[in-house]
Amino acid sequence: MASGRDVRDMLGLPVSGEVQKTVVQKRPKLAAPARRIQGVAREVAALYGERPPPVAVYEEKKSYRAKRQNTGPAKRWVQQPFTNQARTDGLVLKHWRRKPAPQPTNSEDTTMEDGENKEPYIENSSEFLKYNIQLDMPTFTDEEYDAHLRSDDWSREETDHLFQMIKDYSYRWAIIWDRYDYRPSNNNTLTVQEPAQDGDSSHALASLPFPPPKTRTVEDMKARFYEISAKLMKLRIPEVEMDADQYARYDMLTKFDPLLERNRKSLASALMNRSMDEVKEEEFLLAELQRINMAANRLDAERAELRARLEAPIPNQQVAAGLQSFTSSQALQALFQQLFQQDRNNKKRASGTGPARLSLSANDIIGTPTSAGHSLMSAANRRQSMAQPPPPTPIRTLAPQEEYRFNVSTHDRLTSGVSFGSDKLLKMRQAKSNVQTQKIAAALQQLGISDIIAIPTSRVGEVFEQLVGKVGKLLDVRKVREKEEGECRVLEAMKAKRDGVEGAGHAERNGGENGEQSVLQDSREGHEEEDEDVDADADEDADGEPDADGEADDDADGEADEDAEGEDEDAEGEDESGVPSRRGTSEAVSTRAMSNAGHKRSASVLSQASSKSSKRVRK
Amino acid sequence: MNIPNASTAPSTGEYAGDEISAIVLDPGYSTTRAGFAGEDVPKSVCPSFYGQVDSDGGPRLLFGENAIHNPLGNLHIKNPWGSDGIVEDWETATKVWEYTVTSRLTGTKPGDPAKNGLNESNGDAMEVDIEGLENLEKPLADSPLLMTEPGWNPTKAREKCIEIAMEEWGTPAFFLHKTGVLAAFASGKASGIIIDVGASHTSVTPVLDGMVLKKGVQKSPLAGNFVSNQIRLIFKQNDIPLTPHYMVSSKTQVDAGAPAQAAYKTFDIPPSDSFRRHEEERVLTEFKESVVEVWPGPGRFSNGTNEEIAKAQPGRPFEMPDGWNQVFGAERFKVAEALFDPGAALTDAESSRPKDEHCIPSLIQAALAHVDQDQRPLLLGNIVVTGGSTLLYKFTERLSYEVNAAYPSTRNKLIAPGPVVERKYAAWIGGSILASLGSFHQLWISKKEYEEHGVNIVEKRCR
Ligand SMILES: Nc1ncnc2c1ncn2[C@@H]1O[C@H](COP(=O)(O)OP(=O)(O)OP(=O)(O)O)[C@@H](O)[C@H]1O
Ligand SMILES: [Mg+2]
Repeated sequence: MASGRDVRDMLGLPVSGEVQKTVVQKRPKLAAPARRIQGVAREVAALYGERPPPVAVYEEKKSYRAKRQNTGPAKRWVQQPFTNQARTDGLVLKHWRRKPAPQPTNSEDTTMEDGENKEPYIENSSEFLKYNIQLDMPTFTDEEYDAHLRSDDWSREETDHLFQMIKDYSYRWAIIWDRYDYRPSNNNTLTVQEPAQDGDSSHALASLPFPPPKTRTVEDMKARFYEISAKLMKLRIPEVEMDADQYARYDMLTKFDPLLERNRKSLASALMNRSMDEVKEEEFLLAELQRINMAANRLDAERAELRARLEAPIPNQQVAAGLQSFTSSQALQALFQQLFQQDRNNKKRASGTGPARLSLSANDIIGTPTSAGHSLMSAANRRQSMAQPPPPTPIRTLAPQEEYRFNVSTHDRLTSGVSFGSDKLLKMRQAKSNVQTQKIAAALQQLGISDIIAIPTSRVGEVFEQLVGKVGKLLDVRKVREKEEGECRVLEAMKAKRDGVEGAGHAERNGGENGEQSVLQDSREGHEEEDEDVDADADEDADGEPDADGEADDDADGEADEDAEGEDEDAEGEDESGVPSRRGTSEAVSTRAMSNAGHKRSASVLSQASSKSSKRVRK
Repeated sequence: MNIPNASTAPSTGEYAGDEISAIVLDPGYSTTRAGFAGEDVPKSVCPSFYGQVDSDGGPRLLFGENAIHNPLGNLHIKNPWGSDGIVEDWETATKVWEYTVTSRLTGTKPGDPAKNGLNESNGDAMEVDIEGLENLEKPLADSPLLMTEPGWNPTKAREKCIEIAMEEWGTPAFFLHKTGVLAAFASGKASGIIIDVGASHTSVTPVLDGMVLKKGVQKSPLAGNFVSNQIRLIFKQNDIPLTPHYMVSSKTQVDAGAPAQAAYKTFDIPPSDSFRRHEEERVLTEFKESVVEVWPGPGRFSNGTNEEIAKAQPGRPFEMPDGWNQVFGAERFKVAEALFDPGAALTDAESSRPKDEHCIPSLIQAALAHVDQDQRPLLLGNIVVTGGSTLLYKFTERLSYEVNAAYPSTRNKLIAPGPVVERKYAAWIGGSILASLGSFHQLWISKKEYEEHGVNIVEKRCR
């Protein structure tokens, strides 16, 4: 056995005991600063060396399972009787529940006695009430049925049966069809009673001639149910008052075509019942198609590349002229600009958008020879585009319906940064002028659209944009109409005046003619400057013709006084090109409005137009 | 503290669990399964066979595993089930089921959780007793009962079930559910097509959203018992002696194929033929478990060179209780082949060739043909395999081959749980899940409702 001394000797350590002591003393000193890593075996920790790894391998206190905590004496459980609120028969079942904690003052025994003395407490559980789902079904009264819902093919009896089935099986058509067991034999006995009940013999007669066994297909049943639903829906909410969702549903219900559905199904089953060979063939063809597509993509890219290559760089006269053209400082400056521009382009592309699609598409745009900025294209650019990997995997396109469902939207151009939908909506409310803005706000208020729209999704934004557009048009129309009215008024006043004047004699004729002329001039002006505000017109009328004003006073502008501040700048917002057509419609609207509404014109026009516009929205 | 992972059970709140110690009873032709809802496996699995001893004081009935394998003289083994999966002998069936429930679950007297030693006795004991007093002699007075039934159970049988549960067992609440749906639930599926190959019958049940599509339900007698008969035929053809365990007192090892050298037991009064047959069935089940193999495809076993390929595979040895043993080669594929290919069935004077429409592929096709076209791909994507006889070696492979051959253009997916218990007791497990859900509380048919509406309430409520 080698003694410690020998070992020390072998290792060439000093032999003296003093040194040994210091070594012994040193060791704990060294170890002390190094924090002992918990949860790691000492031997492993030793391998770390002086510095522990920057990331703790396992610092947690080693615990695969948390220590069981002592939570005091075992909790008591009781079989708690309870009733479910979804049941009407008060069935009492029992489930295990923690026993409610005893009062701290009471000792064990007293609680026990309490338990014995207590009336058995029955819990009233509403925990699972949410699973008791009732579906809403269209309902109809006997009168409604007789008036609207009759069918030659379906008796009332069977219709009721169908509705009951649908209710029982919660619209699961496959199951309804599977369980559909309407027995006309039952019906026959009942139809005898039926005439007595509703006193309608034709109905009973209509249901009698059917041969008793009648097999209904899913499509038959769906058609019947949808037809009734649609009719009832229309009865409950007139078509024009439905909101977009309701209308969509109504539309869907009315458009159900059993024949189409049946054809679709037979096609589907044909597709499913293909033989193995056909399936293999299809698979093969699909694989082939995919291969061709891939190749085509690559080919296209290569071709585009080639074209880009072939299309010589925009003949640069300076280059064409050779180096000599760069002699002037101006030419050099231009060259520098060009190079700088290229460089910037490159950088932009390199630093810009994410790696995959966007950058590629940007590249594509630049890469196609037809695109705008091609004059700036350089060989360097092209080389870069050539270096692009072969075309990416085809981007999955979603059907419009799917896009709608997954709320995916595609944009031609994305603005950077984040914008709020509500901001967008707010912007739409603002017109160029204050007055117009106020008018739009007033119109929106009249339509019952609150100032803040709770969830400004993009879809809401679109619809709102349409609405604001329509409101704008509406305001225009109103303005034009008022102008027309003003004209009418003036002309009427003129006519009245002329009559009066003619009756009175020729003495004041000149003055009258002057008046006429001025009025005519006014109106002509009105025609010429269509953009001018109607109220300005009216004001002019009032100013220019104090006598005519008296007769036209009943117009009073009471309702229209939101327009009364005759500022011409309103007209800025108008679209010049749209004027003629607008005028046509405005005339129609104004004449109609005048004929039936008289004084309350603005309100009635607004409501008319709004109902019209909302109808349009729905359609 | 347990961090939730794939293998920890979800909390009751997550799946709306709320156990009310309901009992789930899943009667079958070969065994009757019963247990408390919320548990993983049925606690009580009893044979559906029962023994009948004709003694002086009238016939005595014996139930349970121990009793029916005891070679008593004059012991007849019977089964209350008809061959079509419908109970024939209701009186005894009730007793068998009651035995299954009371022997392990509730005890002969209604179980009182406060007295079974697991809970300290306290005030609750009183409450339970007070409530249970009127039904004290009824075995199920405390537990709601969920029973299973085959998809084609006639109304009569269903009404009988609720009558027994309510009147004889005094259950406070009852529900009847189809085995197919429950088996699908056990695999976590609400829709699918369930292929159940049990003992007496094979059934194919299309299920949509937890409801059986009745028109599509198909059944056939080609199942475990049929395979047993096929094995008997092959034994007969090859002169293989079938000696059940109870006859052998000791055996010595013999070479493969050599006659057995065993000492046999003698009985004063030999047990009846039905007893012997039932005991032979045990040997046959052993044989099924360890030897029988289903030809996995492609093609039928009789196709082309398949038989040669099978012959080239190593055989499987089997030793009879009396020591006779042999290695079974290609024959082992033959006995179950008729499940898929009726033409391959072994026949003799008693057993005729099974009908073409009874083989499993035809059943599936027939079932799907009676289902709305739109649902077919969905169903084919959820083919749930259950029943004891699907445990035959390579059964699922063959089934998968047959389904894919019949429906090449759909995505067909077989769901065959691996664990034996889950395959055998799928319907029970599904029932256990269902009856332990809080959302199921509102579906129970209560005693009050039963008294109000009578037996036909079962038709209205258990759809
Ligand atoms: N490992 C196994 N391999 C093959 N067959 C088996 C195996 N285990 C059990 N069996 C067979 O399965 C059958 C029992 O299956 P199961 O318990 O599903 O039937 P059951 O539900 O009682 O009957 P049924 O559904 O017809 O009423 C028996 O015929 C048995 O021989
Ligand atoms: Mg079964």
